[in-house]
Amino acid sequence: MNSTELAELLSRVRAGDADAWGELYRGYAPAIFRFCRRALPSREDAEDATNEVFMKVRQKLGTYDASRPFTAWLYKVASNHCWDMLRRRRIRQDLETGDVETLPLEHPDPGQLERLQTEHTSKEVRAGLDKLPDRARMALVLRYFSDMSYDEIAETLGVRRAFVGVLLLRARHQLREVLQGGGESAREATAGGRL
Amino acid sequence: MTQLENEAGGSPHFDEMTGLLYLEQQLDDDHSKAIEQHASTCANCRELLRVLKNESVWLREAIVAEDEAIPARFVGEPERKASMWGWFAALGFGAAGAYTLWSGIVEPWLTQASNMGFTQGNLMTMLFFSGAFWNGWTDVGRAVEFLAMVTLGGVAVWALRRYFRRQAGVAAVMGMLGLALIAPVPAHAAETAHGDPNYTLPQGSEVKTDLVVSADHAQIDGTVDGDLIVFSRDVEVTGHVGGDILDFSQELRMNGKVDGNLRAFSRSLVVNGSVAKNLMALVHTLEVSRQSTVGGSATLLTADGMLSGPIEGDILALAEQLEIDGAIGGNVNVRGADLTIGPTADIAGQTEFRGPKQPEVAPGAKLASPIAVTIEKTTPEYSTWRYYWHQTLRWGAAFLLGLVLFLLAPGAFLDATNAANRVGLSMGIGLLFLVGIPVAAAIACVTIVGLGVGIATLLVYIVAIYMSQVFVGGWLGEKLLGAGVGIGPVLARLALGLAILRVIRVIPFVGPLSMWVVIVWGLGAYVLTLHKRVRYQIAKA
Repeated sequence: MNSTELAELLSRVRAGDADAWGELYRGYAPAIFRFCRRALPSREDAEDATNEVFMKVRQKLGTYDASRPFTAWLYKVASNHCWDMLRRRRIRQDLETGDVETLPLEHPDPGQLERLQTEHTSKEVRAGLDKLPDRARMALVLRYFSDMSYDEIAETLGVRRAFVGVLLLRARHQLREVLQGGGESAREATAGGRL
Repeated sequence: MTQLENEAGGSPHFDEMTGLLYLEQQLDDDHSKAIEQHASTCANCRELLRVLKNESVWLREAIVAEDEAIPARFVGEPERKASMWGWFAALGFGAAGAYTLWSGIVEPWLTQASNMGFTQGNLMTMLFFSGAFWNGWTDVGRAVEFLAMVTLGGVAVWALRRYFRRQAGVAAVMGMLGLALIAPVPAHAAETAHGDPNYTLPQGSEVKTDLVVSADHAQIDGTVDGDLIVFSRDVEVTGHVGGDILDFSQELRMNGKVDGNLRAFSRSLVVNGSVAKNLMALVHTLEVSRQSTVGGSATLLTADGMLSGPIEGDILALAEQLEIDGAIGGNVNVRGADLTIGPTADIAGQTEFRGPKQPEVAPGAKLASPIAVTIEKTTPEYSTWRYYWHQTLRWGAAFLLGLVLFLLAPGAFLDATNAANRVGLSMGIGLLFLVGIPVAAAIACVTIVGLGVGIATLLVYIVAIYMSQVFVGGWLGEKLLGAGVGIGPVLARLALGLAILRVIRVIPFVGPLSMWVVIVWGLGAYVLTLHKRVRYQIAKA
């Protein structure tokens, strides 16, 4: 769908055209479900979230700025909703300071990292994502699924922009640990209050 | 950014954080150029950049991969066209089920109630809003009506929410909340007494109006001209009550005189005095002693009952054990496990008993006619067509309910079937609410002003328990048939799921267990859905 067709579709949706809404839904619901599935720890959560995201989209469509890409706006709504879901469940850890000092500064072993990349399938990586602390998983998804900028990630997660890089690097380390079989340590880190 | 050790004569190595920021184009130009210059001369840092870059690609490919099944409901919007077979089948079964329910259960009970002196046509009106109970019921009735209107209003607001501005929606909700707070007006024209902790109405004292007593121990030795409504651990009445007695207690001993009806909801009831009109008891143990009199009929739900005194009207009883050893002026209709007719019993009307074995009749007992006994088998009559017809009707009634729910609120319906996926969570919450709601409703009832709320809660609770099979059935159907899109597949899933549950339900031993599992599971799914939707509406407001 090109930008002209999308603009026409959105204007029909705003006018209350049910068919247009159906077309929009069919066009974007699978992608939003995939996003929610990556961002949330279970498939059921993702299905719930997708429904709710589209309810919000329908309500907030009037606030969409047509000068920006629609997909980016849609992912923004979805990411806010998913993060809100996690935040409401009080399973998010809000600590953001103190991590810089604990970050490993030495170079990772390139050979080990390459082996990790060749030995694990995409499915295994996604299973590993599910085991990460919520903020770590969310940071990776926002960056590598939604292509969000550091500013947008900072705004969504409610952290300082300068901290986004730390979050991403920390998340990568945690994912490496999980894939190497150290998943429990990532969880324990969360339980212990260290992101 | 943190830089590590300096190499002699060269620029410093950069750390992993800096390398990542460089690759993500988050460094300013000067820093970027410094990184590039260093990497051009340092194999280690160049290797680090290469590995990190590959990791980014690897991560992105894994995260965006589209090799996961998308639920069918997200692939297309639900169809708007209804399946005609679903409508016809559901309406047909629903009508047949409703007719069976009415002709088989409601009508006989209404007839029986009418025979026993309850002349009003509507059973619910008779039970809840009759002056025979308590004048204050009028206020409770208003409160219940008001609650019903608030509920309907809430549904209307929910249905029309998209047409409301946010402020208007908030105003409507707040307005209803405000009205709800002032709605339960306490019963007027009544004297209220709180024990400290006990309450005694001394002999010779007289209360000219209704008396509402809340105390640890209540002793009524004086006269109450109106009704006596009592919430107490134990109650003893030796005085005179001009109206009805409505009792919620652990133990009630009625040794005095009541000009109206005696309605007791307690663990134990002993009647030694006289009741001019009817006796209605929902008690564990009941004793109507030889020196007592009941001028009207007796409606009993008890585990262990002993009726030695004369009862001028009929007896309608659902009792585990019941012994009748007094004079009964009307008919006796008992359903239970054990009925004994004592040697001094004298029953003027017809006696009917429905239970697992023959009643015991003492040699000296006087009966106007032989007891009509219906032996109930503990196991269903699998060989009769009627049994299967009833099972089909029950399936149809559940299917009709599911259809109505789906058409009224498709989102909530699908959410509830979806919530059943969380088996452990649903069952945990379901168990909590299965036990907790009756307790909460009972507490609400004891507070008088909350009586309407308590009764309404119990009615909703009963409906929710019945609905639980719909959600579990929908879930089961989806597991078997997949998540097809549109009303047809939804109905097919529901029909299949309910049919399987119905088949499991009739299996001996497994069936009753499955019923409880389904109730707990479906109730939990329903509560989860309600919670999610209420939370969402609050967040939206």
